[in-house]
Amino acid sequence: MMQETILKIENVSKFYPGVKALNKVSFELKKGEVRALVGENGAGKSTLIKCIMGVEKPDEGRILMNYNGEWICNTNALEAQRHGVFANYQHVNIAPDLSIAENYFLGQQPKTQLGFVDWKKMYDDSKKIIDKFQMKVNPTDKIRNLPIAMQAMVTISKISVNEDIRIVIFDEPTALLENEKVEILFKFIEELKQRGVSIIYVSHRLEEIMEICDSVTILKDGTYVDTKPIEEVTKDSLISMMVGREMTDIYNIKHVEPGEELLRIENFSDSRHFKDINFTLHKGEILGFAGLVGAGRSEIMRAICGVEKRLTGDVYVRGKKVNIKDPSDAMKHGISFLTEDRREDGLALILPIKINVNMNSYDMISKRGVISLKKETERAEDYSKRVNVKTPSIMQLAGNLSGGNQQKVVIAKLLCRDPDILIFDEPTVGIDVGAKEEIYKIIEKLIAQGKGVILISSYLPEVMGLADRLIVMSQGKIRAEYGKEELKNLKEEDVLRKASIED
Amino acid sequence: MSNTKSAKNSYKNLFQQTEFTLGVIIVLLFVIASVFTDNFFSMYNITNLMKQCAITGVLAVAQTFIIITGGIDISGGAITGLSCMVLALLQRDTGMNFWLTLVIAIIVSIAAGFINGIIVHDFKVPPMIATLGMSTIIRGIIKIISNALTVSGLDERILNMGNSSIFGIIPTLAIIWLLVALAIFLVLKYTIFGRNLYVIGSGINVAKLSGIKVRKMFLSVYALAGLLYGIAGIMLAARVQSALPTGGEGYDMSAIAAAVIGGASLAGGRGAIAGTLLGTILMVLINNAGVQFGLNTHVLEITSGVLIVFAVTMDMLKNRKKA
Repeated sequence: MMQETILKIENVSKFYPGVKALNKVSFELKKGEVRALVGENGAGKSTLIKCIMGVEKPDEGRILMNYNGEWICNTNALEAQRHGVFANYQHVNIAPDLSIAENYFLGQQPKTQLGFVDWKKMYDDSKKIIDKFQMKVNPTDKIRNLPIAMQAMVTISKISVNEDIRIVIFDEPTALLENEKVEILFKFIEELKQRGVSIIYVSHRLEEIMEICDSVTILKDGTYVDTKPIEEVTKDSLISMMVGREMTDIYNIKHVEPGEELLRIENFSDSRHFKDINFTLHKGEILGFAGLVGAGRSEIMRAICGVEKRLTGDVYVRGKKVNIKDPSDAMKHGISFLTEDRREDGLALILPIKINVNMNSYDMISKRGVISLKKETERAEDYSKRVNVKTPSIMQLAGNLSGGNQQKVVIAKLLCRDPDILIFDEPTVGIDVGAKEEIYKIIEKLIAQGKGVILISSYLPEVMGLADRLIVMSQGKIRAEYGKEELKNLKEEDVLRKASIED
Repeated sequence: MSNTKSAKNSYKNLFQQTEFTLGVIIVLLFVIASVFTDNFFSMYNITNLMKQCAITGVLAVAQTFIIITGGIDISGGAITGLSCMVLALLQRDTGMNFWLTLVIAIIVSIAAGFINGIIVHDFKVPPMIATLGMSTIIRGIIKIISNALTVSGLDERILNMGNSSIFGIIPTLAIIWLLVALAIFLVLKYTIFGRNLYVIGSGINVAKLSGIKVRKMFLSVYALAGLLYGIAGIMLAARVQSALPTGGEGYDMSAIAAAVIGGASLAGGRGAIAGTLLGTILMVLINNAGVQFGLNTHVLEITSGVLIVFAVTMDMLKNRKKA
């Protein structure tokens, strides 16, 4: 079955001002093959996907698709879709004010005989897809009201609406999904494969790749490195091919003995996301929060920082009760918050790094509201260097940076206020191994300075590997707490079981 | 590193390009009009040109910082008209102290702007609709307090201001415009308030999470715009030498156009005073030179419209490229 070539990428190059995003990349994809595409951020994966999807045109070379024995070239996105090429996009790309059903059938609504939209059929068919992907939502639910993980699920399940599917590109499909949904996705991929659909699977999670892919293509700095059958690679060999160096346990950071109490949360409840939450955070400690997406972890942190309201509960900083009404109060009490959605909450994408880094601390470099421009530049330079933002200049717009570097800019912004308590909500979502490791190193430095770090992560190896203490949540309640000793022998299955507890 | 240089330059180019292009077009138009028409390059016309710029110019400055926050304000013309009318009525009908009449006209304008801010932020009404409503309300108020009649009888000092100039060539009105522009330029460049405007324009959630007091910002921004409209209203009284119920009508479009032509992005987060100044000059210049060339004023209206659509289209294309 795996003989016929469906996609030929021939010497493809793509240039952006100052950057060679792709440099003479060539490889082929067979029918029914699940091919992983790996590489660090900036390796050119996204650009290559855009070229295959017809969204971008290669500056050199060409991409050919075998369409019923004929070699064709998709010159735009619509053409690609007509030829059965689909993708979920890394940054959830759906109409937020339309319902799930409307999004599924966008541009291909079923019609009644009179030519009106056949709403009943549309809802029925949508329901089938929703059930198939076990999404527990209604076809009429508006996208905007769904949790971000469910939105990601919609973009994935939307692909199955189409009948003629030949090539599917999954770009970081699991970045936002909890394990249970990941399994559903894998089943879908298996089903597509059985139907002879070819799949390009982009992910930073190498474990997944080893599990579901047939082969893997490695890109590095826009150039093609190699393509190998999955049996011939290991996680370590993949990483070394991606970054050009061997990497041992990336979660192996230096911990310190936790000190006095920094933060205490008592009786936190809101009306629907979390209930009876109590926990403490100490100096030099990494407190992990594991759980499925939607377990209420982010909501607690948002309530602590005054972004969202709560019904009951008190916050104590260094033993003193504090009243936090909005994020600026939180900052005054030394709490800084890195949210899970860096593009929406963390960065001003159209503004330069310089403003992004200084954004929440202008009061510290100004007198009576007048900013010292010199200090503004110095601070931006200094802090971008501290977290190792890779950019030619601090005048670069944040939106032009890779995901990892964007996240580092957000961290630089937090560090500017020299907070004692840092809340990192999914800090490594969608960023490459190299940048992840750098972020862990930053966390290592922070705890060495005696700061307290709260780490929320839906990726169990990460949160279990880094935390000194781990809290597991499900449905808005704390279900388990593990200390340092217990963590050593803890298995992922145990955590998952706790995280799946239902009332 | 050559890389460093090129990135720095490309970023700078982005901002300078608009202003450079505008500058070139303005100079070209100026030279062409001077050479090919008899009356364009005359003391009278140049002074007139600057006066024409002045009031729209002040509104355009206000529009610029509102557009930077991602908003838009189409009540500027109406509030200007209100300020002008309040001033004229106070000066004609009451024996009130001259300076006090100015202060009251400005306070009324600030209040109107402040209410805009409340409607936009607290009631979450899109700025376009909020200010459209405000504009209609204010036009009604103007007609009620003036019986829909032109009001003359302004104080001597206002009347004189409209005709006075410095060095016999730069009209006082233009000086006020440039001072207002300079003040806002400094605010945008050097203050936390100015930075926060850009942050809000690039994303309200980012702004909130960065500890920016968003509500306070919105109310201040629209109130500050009100302040500028108040000043513009006094300038209008000086220029027209009376207050018309329709005073200030049509200024908003020119002001928005000037800001957008000058590089402000309706998507928010981008805009600069220098660009807006040039945009204002270009808008006025096209009209003025057009008249000198004997073009039909209705044709010029079309030209202005086309220019606005063109500028916004360019802005949209730029944004699309970014996204």
